[in-house]
Amino acid sequence: MPRAPAFSTAATPAYTPVQARRSLAHNKVNAPANGYPASQANMAMPDSEDRKRVEFPPPVRSYVQRCFAPENQIASVTIPEMQEKLKIVITEAAENQKLHAIDWERLPLPQVMVQNERNKILANPASSNWASQPSSPGDAARKRKSTDPHQLQNGSPPWRKANNNRFEDRVTHPSTEKKQKMTLDQSSKSKANLEMRRRRFEGLSINGNSPSSPTESPGRATADQGPVVGRCQTLEKNYFRLTSAPNPDTVRPLPVLKSALDLLKKKWRHDGNYGYICDQFKSLRQDLTVQHIRNEFTVSVYEIHARIALEKGDLGEYNQCQTQLRVLYAQQLGGHPTEFKAYRILYFIYTRNWTAMNDALADVTAEDKKDLAVKHALDVRSALALGNYHRFFQLYLDTPNMGAYLMDMFVERERLSALCAICRAYKPVVNIRFITEELGFESDEQTAHFVINNASAELLEENNGEVRLLTGKAGLLFENAKAAAYRVVDIKDMCIDQSKYESLSTFKSISHTSSFVPLAFDEASMELCHVGPKAMSELVVPTRAM
Amino acid sequence: MSPTINGFLPVRAELTMGTITTGFKDAYLSGSGPHLAAVLTPISTPDDPDRLRTFYQFSNASFLSKDLQYALLHGKSLRIPKAEQNAWVDIFSAFWEAVGEILKCEDRHPGASIVAVFNAWKKVANTLIRGYSSSTSLPAWTLPCLYTVGKYLRIFAINADLEAASLGSAGFGFSDDIAGDFEKNAHLENAAQIINRMFTLCLSDRAPIEESRKWGIYQMTNLLFKTYFKINSVGLTKNILRAIKASSADLPPLEAFPKAHIVTFKYYVGVIHFLDENYVEAEEHLTWAWKMCHKDAFKNRELILTYLIPCHLVTTHTLPTKELLAPFPRLEQLFRSLSTCIKKGDLVGFDQAMTAGEEQFVKRRIYLPLERGRDIALRNLFRKVFLAGGFEEPKDGQPAIRRSRVPVAEFAAALRVGTDTNGRSRVDIDEVECLLSNLIYKGLMKGYIARERGIIVLNKKGAFPDTGV
Repeated sequence: MPRAPAFSTAATPAYTPVQARRSLAHNKVNAPANGYPASQANMAMPDSEDRKRVEFPPPVRSYVQRCFAPENQIASVTIPEMQEKLKIVITEAAENQKLHAIDWERLPLPQVMVQNERNKILANPASSNWASQPSSPGDAARKRKSTDPHQLQNGSPPWRKANNNRFEDRVTHPSTEKKQKMTLDQSSKSKANLEMRRRRFEGLSINGNSPSSPTESPGRATADQGPVVGRCQTLEKNYFRLTSAPNPDTVRPLPVLKSALDLLKKKWRHDGNYGYICDQFKSLRQDLTVQHIRNEFTVSVYEIHARIALEKGDLGEYNQCQTQLRVLYAQQLGGHPTEFKAYRILYFIYTRNWTAMNDALADVTAEDKKDLAVKHALDVRSALALGNYHRFFQLYLDTPNMGAYLMDMFVERERLSALCAICRAYKPVVNIRFITEELGFESDEQTAHFVINNASAELLEENNGEVRLLTGKAGLLFENAKAAAYRVVDIKDMCIDQSKYESLSTFKSISHTSSFVPLAFDEASMELCHVGPKAMSELVVPTRAM
Repeated sequence: MSPTINGFLPVRAELTMGTITTGFKDAYLSGSGPHLAAVLTPISTPDDPDRLRTFYQFSNASFLSKDLQYALLHGKSLRIPKAEQNAWVDIFSAFWEAVGEILKCEDRHPGASIVAVFNAWKKVANTLIRGYSSSTSLPAWTLPCLYTVGKYLRIFAINADLEAASLGSAGFGFSDDIAGDFEKNAHLENAAQIINRMFTLCLSDRAPIEESRKWGIYQMTNLLFKTYFKINSVGLTKNILRAIKASSADLPPLEAFPKAHIVTFKYYVGVIHFLDENYVEAEEHLTWAWKMCHKDAFKNRELILTYLIPCHLVTTHTLPTKELLAPFPRLEQLFRSLSTCIKKGDLVGFDQAMTAGEEQFVKRRIYLPLERGRDIALRNLFRKVFLAGGFEEPKDGQPAIRRSRVPVAEFAAALRVGTDTNGRSRVDIDEVECLLSNLIYKGLMKGYIARERGIIVLNKKGAFPDTGV
């Protein structure tokens, strides 16, 4: 097993973890026998050649200049530390061919990144006592202290309790190069990366009990171990469904996520590329989850994603956000609970999931009922339950927030339903003008079109310049159209339910099936995001080989 | 439903005579499943408060299987096949360990936790399942053990979830999102899976029906339904019903099963249909359960009525009588004012009663069907308008007929009764027409709206079906 020496070196303080990782990378490139197909190895080679030929564009040059400008220096970050970080940023950009894509004007300076990383750890001491193993590597810490005296001066009690990865994160700068390597892998060859992670994980469990191994599980949390602390600095990240413990190198800490959200908001306004945005939001959510970040920011991420999904009619994604938001609101983290309680009610009207509707009603408090949106949604529900289409369409024309996107989903079907009643009750004809007004159509033409599309043109008759609907014959036709419209939702509803049941399966069974599921997942989502065909093949090939 | 149904309660007392192991021998010799199940019950009885402790202290971890071998299987001329003997030793070993965890909890031992009890009990369940599923399976008459073990698995799981919740959440798994109800019921979901295996164990037994585990199918189903309801996954019950339906040809007829199993089963099936708004089917099953339910099972009867009454309101537009509700003060309180308002056609009162009872109704999941009672209240109100209209001028010799052309304005006036003059209760004519057209559409009124003339033309005969006019 070629991996064993790598780990023994990692355990020896004389070597830095980076070197251990490098040997991994070499193994990967030079020894396809590792289980990576030859094509994978070949792909990695041109990559490294590309790097040498890179021409740095002017924005990059100016970025570097700014890094060294005296007014931009931060006292707590030394020049070598900053240089180290800078190198990483540039190398990564070059390897990802993102030198032209990154907004260098806006990218934080490396010294700021370093500081953010530290602040993030400082700001979050509470989560540090989850570490199950005492962060014992006393001797290793002492040795590192000498190599890096500056940082331990800041060392506050949280460090003592901090888990290995935090420690690592803060102290050993050489290891950031390894992180970078991983970040690259994540963005381009996540599948291969996954396999690597898995193997390393196995390797770790072998020497996991050895107390002399301070670098054991360098920041790799198993699912029940506790939150990960991310150290990835790139703003954008493609979504990739986790199948094993997340790698902190590919997880963005809170400050980075905040900048990422700002970036996404801007991009959404400018480009409106939903596929890209959705993918980015999913990875954002994932990063929040694996780090157990639950705060107002988390709420706003879900809220924004939910609103965007609503706007685009992506109800599947919307529903996921809604489900999460319900849990988050229950913890009083801020946000806009009433707005989303209202959406939730409207959503269940659409899916006609009465069991869930009952739950939604149970969630509404007396206080909520004073809210305009909640009251509106409740009125819509009760109007429909009682067949009061008159009131329903009045409410439809006056919907607060983004509820209209949801109501649009079922307004057609309620029109059919109302027409069934109207045709039964009004005899022998009814003026089309009346239908237009009662059922919230924009014009008589629209009404006429609706009748023609759903029933028949023969039902309309012109008399003295008035168009009238022959209600006697129309009833049955509308009944059929109504039944068809409801059937569609039943099918959709069933699919939604199905996904709910899947989520009930235990953690264990998820990890069993996962090696197959993500493939389908990623191929589908790849079409949505901006990844060239080459990247796609990189993504897919290693998995197939697995 | 309540434990009074499971039928084991009276049996337990007899077992306090001996220890757990002699209890096993006695039960085995007499071939009594309920007795055997009582032996595997992880609680002490009032007559024998040290039942579990005595059993736990009779051995220790290193000698356990030897001791059990002797205590369970020697003497009393027991004839148990070797493989089955081993199975029982395994089961009682797991039971012994679980009892240890339970005693730790009772003693408030520092390392005690209900999660540990649950895990230990899970092992009992799995060992028992293995006992049934291996080639030399345990005989079918021991089946009550399976139910008892499943029942306590569920109880321990619920308590373990409570304990876990009070300690704060543990892992997030690898899920992409923050949380679901996932965590909250982690143990109970785990229990549901094991109970599901027990269900399969019963359903898939191919032994001749006399010795089949199929006789336990409804009892296991009930336990499973109960668990699914608790974890808010009513949808999963559909799979179970489908599985039962698929093998219905091999199952004995419902009547052949103990009534206790069937009444509970029918109740759940009724409620499942009820939640899907299939009120007709729901009513059928619930009525069955209502008729067959033991007269002393007060709580069960109350539960059945809680759903049967709204069902009846929706399907037959009838309300519960005073006599029906008399023994159930809670139901009387729940439904009385609503019923009165529906009967009187008092819409304002109806809305108030719905608001007042909303919390209870939503909790019991009967809000949505009860809301439909408003249509009946509305019908009754409009019927009064019709009656108030009096009769047409009698034509010579003909019997007098009621006035069948009623201005919409009169209905609007009726709707205004009891409402204040401002706010949303102002009634506009279009809305009145809408309400009328709905009643006509739903068949609660017969007639049509002549919009140009602003009148309703009602049928001369049976304008309000089933109400005598």
